[in-house]
Amino acid sequence: MPIARIHFWGIDSKYLFYILVGISVAVFLLGVYSRVSVWLAAVNREKVIVSREGILNLLMDGLFGRRIFKGDLIAGLMHFFIMWGFIGLFLGTVLSTTDYWIIHFLSGDVYLIYSFCLEILGLMFIAGLLTALIRRYIARVSRLDNQAQDLWILVLLFFCVLTGFMVEGVRLAVNMPEGESVSFGGVIFSSLPSSKEQAEAVYPIIWWVHSLASLFLVAWFPFSKLFHVLAGPVNIYMASQPEAVVSRDEESPEGPGFLFRDMINFSACTRCGRCNEVCPSASAMEPFSPREFIAQANEYTRLRYNPLSRIKWFREKLIKSVSALPEISPEQIWYCTTCRACLEVCPIYIGAFEPIRRVRTSEIEEGSRVPNLLTKSLETLYMFDNPWERSKKKRGEWFGDLAVPDLTAGAKADLCYFVGCTTSFDTRAQGLARSFVKIMTHAGVSFGTLGQKETCCGDIARRVGEEGLFEEQVKKTMGLLKTYGIADLVASSPHCFNLFRNEYPLYQSPGATPLRVRHYTQVLEELMERGLIKPVKRMDLRVTYHDPCYLGRYNNIYQAPRRLIRSIPGVSLVEMAHYGPDSLCCGGGGGRLWQELEDEKKLSEVRIREAADTGADIVITTCPYCLIMLEDAVKTADLEGRLRVMDLNELIAESLGLGEEGEESTIG
Amino acid sequence: MNIIVCVKNVPFTQEVDLVLDASKQDVKKDNLVYVINEWDNYAIEEAIRIKEETGGHVTAVTLGKEADEEVLRRCLAMGADEAIRVERGDLNPDASMIAAILSAVVKTIPHDIILTGVQSDDLNNGITGSLIAERLGLVHAAVVNSLKISEGKAQISIELEGGQDEMSQVTLPALFAIQTGINEPRYVSIMGIRKASKKEIKVIDASGLGLPGEDLQPSLIMEEMFMPPETEGAEMLQGDAGSLADQIIRIIREKGVSL
Ligand code: SF4
Ligand code: SF4
Repeated sequence: MPIARIHFWGIDSKYLFYILVGISVAVFLLGVYSRVSVWLAAVNREKVIVSREGILNLLMDGLFGRRIFKGDLIAGLMHFFIMWGFIGLFLGTVLSTTDYWIIHFLSGDVYLIYSFCLEILGLMFIAGLLTALIRRYIARVSRLDNQAQDLWILVLLFFCVLTGFMVEGVRLAVNMPEGESVSFGGVIFSSLPSSKEQAEAVYPIIWWVHSLASLFLVAWFPFSKLFHVLAGPVNIYMASQPEAVVSRDEESPEGPGFLFRDMINFSACTRCGRCNEVCPSASAMEPFSPREFIAQANEYTRLRYNPLSRIKWFREKLIKSVSALPEISPEQIWYCTTCRACLEVCPIYIGAFEPIRRVRTSEIEEGSRVPNLLTKSLETLYMFDNPWERSKKKRGEWFGDLAVPDLTAGAKADLCYFVGCTTSFDTRAQGLARSFVKIMTHAGVSFGTLGQKETCCGDIARRVGEEGLFEEQVKKTMGLLKTYGIADLVASSPHCFNLFRNEYPLYQSPGATPLRVRHYTQVLEELMERGLIKPVKRMDLRVTYHDPCYLGRYNNIYQAPRRLIRSIPGVSLVEMAHYGPDSLCCGGGGGRLWQELEDEKKLSEVRIREAADTGADIVITTCPYCLIMLEDAVKTADLEGRLRVMDLNELIAESLGLGEEGEESTIG
Repeated sequence: MNIIVCVKNVPFTQEVDLVLDASKQDVKKDNLVYVINEWDNYAIEEAIRIKEETGGHVTAVTLGKEADEEVLRRCLAMGADEAIRVERGDLNPDASMIAAILSAVVKTIPHDIILTGVQSDDLNNGITGSLIAERLGLVHAAVVNSLKISEGKAQISIELEGGQDEMSQVTLPALFAIQTGINEPRYVSIMGIRKASKKEIKVIDASGLGLPGEDLQPSLIMEEMFMPPETEGAEMLQGDAGSLADQIIRIIREKGVSL
């Protein structure tokens, strides 16, 4: 008899086995159904479109675990081994079943190759699992919090492969066909039984143990974190789908209206803790953690929307597993600065800030738990069209002696400079606008502002989830832009820029001409490329650059500001510990500038210390929020005299010899 | 528990440079933003909280023009069950007229508790609440900074001078003029206001209340309104911290404070 795959060797109760397979598959399907039905309970299930980026990400992140390797090579290898070991052994089982039931092909050389591959996969799997166990329980990687299932899943998987090898080994102990030595894993175990008889006696026991353990794994799969195997890829694909408009109206039900992709997010999280590591709030030990938020939201939705939760036993079990009724505790949600750092590192593209905004909206609608100062800021924004409680008349005060054309007063220009509330009203941030105007005038660009008519773009309202107010601001602002025929916009603030560029279009009627929107760094770079501005004044300075979240991570603008800085003679740029996509938030975004929270930390001080550590004389930024947050941190962290904070406009203006009077002497 | 809250729409005047109008009887109001009177915001919040705890029915009442219904919509959004606007027509009422009109309206509605703000942001009389209570013959307390309701009685705390509080028990029905800080008023979202604007607001005409003519006469005659006269310019102190401190102490002494 030629060498071939052996099925059910010495096992009589084949049919019992198939009944058990049926049960475990049924439980598996029920579990998948129950979790997918939670996804489907989402409000506004957006249409899923074919996206090349999605497919590419699916390949790179799904199949190769690109993001898992990033910053943690061992974790990447570990996951790669476990994943491919798992998939490979699973496929092996599928082939074997096909061989038995459908077409017999696992014989001769094909079988030997098959068997050899399975041995390799099994070994990879074991290596991966051992690494995981060591990382969790011996090396104790700090971002991993070891929960019961983390251990049990690893142990169970390990047990399944180990018994798999034993089944093979014991069979080989009885009968070692020629060529079977390719099954080197099994060969090791074949020396375990002391005699052929003993081997024959224990074989069915080991076989059954292996089978039951494997079937249990299948049944448990969708109920455990292993579900990320299915939900993760969906999540990776969904991440590149266009932003969804959640139109909430008066009729919307109470509670957070989670979207389709939020629900998938919740079910896919594996608690790897990468988000916590980079979260400015969690790492400053504020009472918030994106991982915990996602976990709470998972339990919350799982209990409410799961068809199984109608069954009392199941519901009670779920409640017990989270030790209390799953609720999303409302205090935590205000700490998130919406910096997007969590999304940047999550292996399966979960960004906690998006579902957090959904919860914020439901808290805003409920009203009574909104932090005090935030209530005031929003009311101010509604009344004054800016969060700074300044009357409209004062919007142009920063002009001072500068001649700034007013497009609402008859001036004609191609480019509209959208100054923004903070840049208009905060005395420190006004320097940004003054310098920008000087540069533009110097370069001979035809531009104008909206003068006193300028509105608030609504960023704060959007970030804190006040959707009604945000819509009002969108309507007002779009109306204003339309009235004055504005088609080309440059913004001071990455926040306004991001809204205009990425979120306003969602509210525009289809077919309307899209607005051209740029951040000032893009305009400056263009002016430099066209030779309209030439930094000439030499400034022997060491500077570092702070990437604003809404310019960098939200809009991928990392290089323009750096090229501008480098273009100044004498200026050398040094990077901080965190820069580019890994940049650390100043703590001002997401509405944090507009509220005071219990136990809040000065996130800006963490950042300013990083800047000071570079030994730079100046930290440059390109956002009015960052500017005032960091400026304040310089004072509170006692770095005055050692480190200065400047907006890029101010630095460029200096190098063009356009600096503010009296300030010139302080640089260089 | 039936609760009536008297509220007022007032111009927001912080951060605004007020200008007198031609009559010199009032400030120019056309460019001002209107908001709920701060004290009334606490009063309506308190009413909603009582309702949430003990059950009941909250009615918000205002005396004003159609534009002032904004304040009522806000109350409805916060959780009031009913809103009434008393149309003031051409009247330009002072505190005693407001009290006369509001009490005539309130009288016709069942009530256990009436809440007003201690004062209003615009004219700061601080007497409307007490005047209403007098007219209705109700027990009343002003500057209430804590209010607990149980079994037909109210445990209240009244803010006295010098940071002292006076605790008392009042049998209902009663009127309380609510002080700011008694609670933390909830946020009212734009969506909430939109939702509330679908609810009906009942309108009653002040002239149809059958009030005697003298009640509709102001008891206070405004002669002239004027800006406070500008005083001399400030004295800017110069010098280092030590000499600055000396100068400040000298000034304080000169002004008669014994140090
Ligand atoms: S959200 Fe992403 S990064 Fe955070 S724990 Fe879950 S899987 Fe990891
Ligand atoms: S967006 Fe930033 S602050 Fe918010 S959870 Fe993610 S990492 Fe934390």
